[in-house]
Amino acid sequence: MSAYASSPDEQNDHFGSGVGGSVLLHAVVFAGIIGWAIFNHLHNPSLGETSSQVGSIQASMVSAIPLPTKAPPVKDQVLTPDDVSKAAAPPPKEAALPPPKETDVLIKAKTPPATKTAPVPTPAPPKHAQPTPDTPKANSGEQATQLPQSVSQTTNGTATLTVQNRALGLRYAYYIRIVSSRITQNYNQEFPDPRASQDKSVTVLFDIDRSGTPTNLRIEAASGSPTLDSAGKRAIQEVDNFGPNPAAESIPIAFKFDYHHP
Amino acid sequence: MAALTLCLLGSPLLHAQDPIHLEATNSADRIRLAVANFKPQTGDANTGAYKQTFDTTLFSDLTSAGLFDVVSKDMLPQSTPGFPAEINLTQWSAAPSSAAMVAFGNLSTQGNHLVVSGFLDDTKNTQFPQVFAKQYNEEASEDNARQIAHRFADEIIFRLGGGVSGIAETKIYYVKILGPNKEIYEMDYDGANQHAITHLGTVSLSPRVSPDNSRIAFSTLGRDGFQLKMFSLLLNRPVNFNSAGGTNLSPAWSPSGQQLAFSSSRTGDPEIWISDPEGNIAHKITAFRGPDVSPTWNPKTGAQIAWISGRSGLPQLYIMDADGSGITRLTDGGYATSPSWSPNGQFITFAWDRKYGPGAPGGQDIYIMEIASKKWIQLTHDGGRCDFPSWSPDGRHIVYANSPDGKADHTRIMSMLADGTQKKALTGSGADMPNWSWK
Repeated sequence: MSAYASSPDEQNDHFGSGVGGSVLLHAVVFAGIIGWAIFNHLHNPSLGETSSQVGSIQASMVSAIPLPTKAPPVKDQVLTPDDVSKAAAPPPKEAALPPPKETDVLIKAKTPPATKTAPVPTPAPPKHAQPTPDTPKANSGEQATQLPQSVSQTTNGTATLTVQNRALGLRYAYYIRIVSSRITQNYNQEFPDPRASQDKSVTVLFDIDRSGTPTNLRIEAASGSPTLDSAGKRAIQEVDNFGPNPAAESIPIAFKFDYHHP
Repeated sequence: MAALTLCLLGSPLLHAQDPIHLEATNSADRIRLAVANFKPQTGDANTGAYKQTFDTTLFSDLTSAGLFDVVSKDMLPQSTPGFPAEINLTQWSAAPSSAAMVAFGNLSTQGNHLVVSGFLDDTKNTQFPQVFAKQYNEEASEDNARQIAHRFADEIIFRLGGGVSGIAETKIYYVKILGPNKEIYEMDYDGANQHAITHLGTVSLSPRVSPDNSRIAFSTLGRDGFQLKMFSLLLNRPVNFNSAGGTNLSPAWSPSGQQLAFSSSRTGDPEIWISDPEGNIAHKITAFRGPDVSPTWNPKTGAQIAWISGRSGLPQLYIMDADGSGITRLTDGGYATSPSWSPNGQFITFAWDRKYGPGAPGGQDIYIMEIASKKWIQLTHDGGRCDFPSWSPDGRHIVYANSPDGKADHTRIMSMLADGTQKKALTGSGADMPNWSWK
């Protein structure tokens, strides 16, 4: 009730009926929208489907698997026909000798007569002693097993080079001479102690590899004089390279230093 | 081989007071080599001219190699073999030629090309005489005939020299005196084919070629005094080298080609500096009162520098490590200049006036010193003033400048074997400061 209303009519502002009408109207509109939506949902197709296909899988039943039919083999087109020609007839059997009868006698074949040969005369052994061929001997009296490839005289003794592969040594003789002269040049003859090294010799072994570098240097036979041993080793160690190796393989070399102070 | 000879003879014979005797044992070991005249296959006049050049060059290359006992051409047999089938080896191995090896071959011009076949035979090996055979095919010209002869000679030296390559294809760079100006010139190792490299119209000194033969470093007098310059032999023009103040002199390439040592007075006193080949990252490695000049690297290791220092009065020869440590003085007096280190790192050659000063007029001569023992040999005697020695890459030769009468403009370039023999002039007067290329 309004404090400012002047009449009883005016005092009754119909609040109750207005609210009721409004609620009823909203409820009707709302129910209408919901109902329309439910109706639509139930009776219209969903998005992206047509009513005819909904919920079905198309399948057609067949009675058998449709494999290609088997072609019959064509006889005329086969390269090697099935009907082969006949194999050649086996050679006719030779008529076998009849087995010997028990009454048969064995006759021996004739042996040819032996031919006589005259005895070969052998030379009589010499009555006097034969000279033995000269064997190369070192100053130390030791006998060499192989003829050396190169021998050079030094102030104190000799330097002897032997190529263990003789074929290589002959084929590349010029190279072996260069090697020998390089080593002899580098051999410091003042280094070995004269008294300890007198009449002794050292043999050093090494290989000249394909580039011409001496490798694998070792002493084969030590002399017993350490100074002579190291002078021999140093003569080879001083060399970086002997020049290009003409052989396609490494050349093994034995180099022997004899010390003999005159 | 000469270096080895020296080393072999050096240890027992070169005591300080003893006279030097060189035994002739090694010359007897030299290979006796006969060089036949090559056989012309075609008869035209050009072939004859090329053949003449070829024969002369080959003979002089092998003679000056210092390795062989080359048979005089007068002693050769009359025949001229052109092919291995045509040679009668006993003719050559017999007296008077008595050759152990024969170099022979043939030469022809085919169209525009000069074709040379060269053979080397071992006369002592009758079964397998041939040492090697080579064929060369170049455009026909006088210069190429010489080049082919150089190459064939180098091949013979390589095969028979005991592992050291020949130098017939190397170059020598030097200073040509042209009135008031000095320019950098280039020539072949035998003095042929002399031609200018620079045309700067000023004074250029001390050319030094890089180890790969691509650049020359030298010092040039310009507006700012002497400055280092770099000339590219590939581009044929100067390339950049960053300069600094002061006087910059005497460049020296390290064997790697990555560093340049030189003398610079940018901080007041001439000291040895090291920079890269563009002149960057320069740093000083000597610090002592007195001039430090003329560095040269140890070409074998690249870890040591020899140089001339005046720290104790007169200039003396010193060596140090490349970082400036381990300084050792090698000469004990006199006036030493312009060192050059041998390729095997064992020796230094330098110019030395052993009796310098008033009342003791000495001559300036070329010396070799073995670094390990400080023993030295005098290589030139009474030939006038000698300076600027430079080793050849095979270590068997030394080139140097010589002035017979002591006058600067009469200086000429001479070469000799490293034992002081076979001296010969390569240029006329007016050439100075030679530098032998590294290869």
